[in-house]
Amino acid sequence: MTAGAISQPALRVRGLHKQFGRFVALDSVDLTVDEGEIRAIIGPNGAGKTTLINVLSGQIVADRGSVEVAGRRLRRQHPHQVAKLGVGRTYQISSTLRRMTVFDNMLCAHNAVSGHWFSLRAGRLRTMEDTVLADLKTIELDGLADRVVDDISHGDRKRLEFGMVLATRPKVLLLDEPTAGMGLRERHELIDLVLAVTRERGLTLVFVEHDIDVVFKAAESITVMALGGVFAEGRPDEIAANSAVQDIYLGGNG
Amino acid sequence: MAQGDGTRADSETALQRRDPYAINWRLVAAVVVLQAVLLVVSPPLVVFALIEVMIFALYASALNLLLSFSGMVSFGHAVYFGLGAYGLALSITHFDFPIVLGIIAGPLVSAFFGLVYGILCVQLTAIYAAMLTLACAEVTYAVVFQWFDVTGGDSGISGHVPTMLGLAPHQFGLVVLCVVTVAILMLWRVVYSPLGLTIRAVGQNPARAAALGHGRKSVQLIAFVISAFFSGVAGTLFGIFHGNVFPDYVGVLFTVDGLLMVVLGGLYSFGAGIYGAIVYKLLDNLAAHYFQYWQLVVGVIIVIVVIVSPSGIAGLVRRVVERIGRRL
Repeated sequence: MTAGAISQPALRVRGLHKQFGRFVALDSVDLTVDEGEIRAIIGPNGAGKTTLINVLSGQIVADRGSVEVAGRRLRRQHPHQVAKLGVGRTYQISSTLRRMTVFDNMLCAHNAVSGHWFSLRAGRLRTMEDTVLADLKTIELDGLADRVVDDISHGDRKRLEFGMVLATRPKVLLLDEPTAGMGLRERHELIDLVLAVTRERGLTLVFVEHDIDVVFKAAESITVMALGGVFAEGRPDEIAANSAVQDIYLGGNG
Repeated sequence: MAQGDGTRADSETALQRRDPYAINWRLVAAVVVLQAVLLVVSPPLVVFALIEVMIFALYASALNLLLSFSGMVSFGHAVYFGLGAYGLALSITHFDFPIVLGIIAGPLVSAFFGLVYGILCVQLTAIYAAMLTLACAEVTYAVVFQWFDVTGGDSGISGHVPTMLGLAPHQFGLVVLCVVTVAILMLWRVVYSPLGLTIRAVGQNPARAAALGHGRKSVQLIAFVISAFFSGVAGTLFGIFHGNVFPDYVGVLFTVDGLLMVVLGGLYSFGAGIYGAIVYKLLDNLAAHYFQYWQLVVGVIIVIVVIVSPSGIAGLVRRVVERIGRRL
């Protein structure tokens, strides 16, 4: 499966369909994201954004359609298998290990990709300490290293979750509302961090976001979803100028 | 107050990280020496009680690996405890194993059944998995109880191994002390190793662990087998202690004992099984001595502890130590 002169898209989705009971969550969705692209997915509630992320990360198996990650087709893989293909994801409600310290959370992420997760040698954990601290510095949480995650702020938890995903060295980042529930300032600080790391490491980034300022600041291209389908797609300026999009979303509930 | 703690933690940062997972050898040595002295100087009746506490400390610690760290609940853990004793007995009576091999066979039989039942149980999660552990336990109990030709049914098996290996109570107590200490240190190594970190990650948040690349089923199965093995070590010791084995050893009451010890000791802490076994067995003995309705007394005390300190005795100890530490 070597890519020829044309580089393989990082993500290719064809005719994706998913139904929960009688509710159509995804309705023949097509989506292609190039390597290194920064793509925002927007749309009103119930448009199917999170379902799409869940299918891409293996959480949900689609009824029909195909998903390819870096040229490899997903066939009913479990989430942990998809993660090993280089897909890292965060959740709408941050998902961390709440009873452990910030440090141990990051240690877990490194441990998971160390290839020695089944080892009984405690010394292996000690050898990871420096990288863990360096990673915590990158996401500016080194000051909270010994705090239990339950006791840190919502924004810091989101930041930690992002850091843990980075530690698994993904090629594709799927962020489901990375800034949901955060204050204006921390929102922009986090998205700046995400952009800096994404560009520096040449990652592909797909993120769902409701904050329009954040979307237009970060995205190179935007996919607008509505009623389970792709409603519009294009560069930010094209989307901003699209009057139909303005009707259903941008102008909608402000 | 949380704010104050925060600034203190911030200023210390992580430059001088002490390793919280290293074994505190001084503490281990102190406890072992104290226990050894107690075993030597106490009258036989107390020695019997101490032996029972040690065996149950190991059993509850093994169960605690599941409850506190792997995110699983077992409502049938006595199976792995009791099958240790049955493994010992049956390998001697039916396969003519020498006693030494029988002692090794006990925990391995437990681990084997841990593997078989574990494969079934990890297919489900939460309460459904817990109910399946109960079902597996009921099946095992029924087989052990009714397969008279092999297990002796209700009357069990005895005489296959000399009670306490023919040793004096305090000598056997020292043997149990050695085995239980090594086994609990091994459990510590499991919990605070890369594997343990993986088990704890899966136990706390299977979705996040999966996103990091861990499959829940295989990790939980490993934890289940390890827990079954060490429960089997405890059960084998128990079988030698009494020189017999009965269907009760795999029955519901032994399961409940283990669960109560862990909850009393304090979920989410390594020492839960040890603290729980000490306090529970102490209560059991004392209450039975002084009260007619002693089970009621024990029950009420457990309810009070759980309400006053949901983190159990371990939580109480931690708070007291922290308070003393702040004073100094």
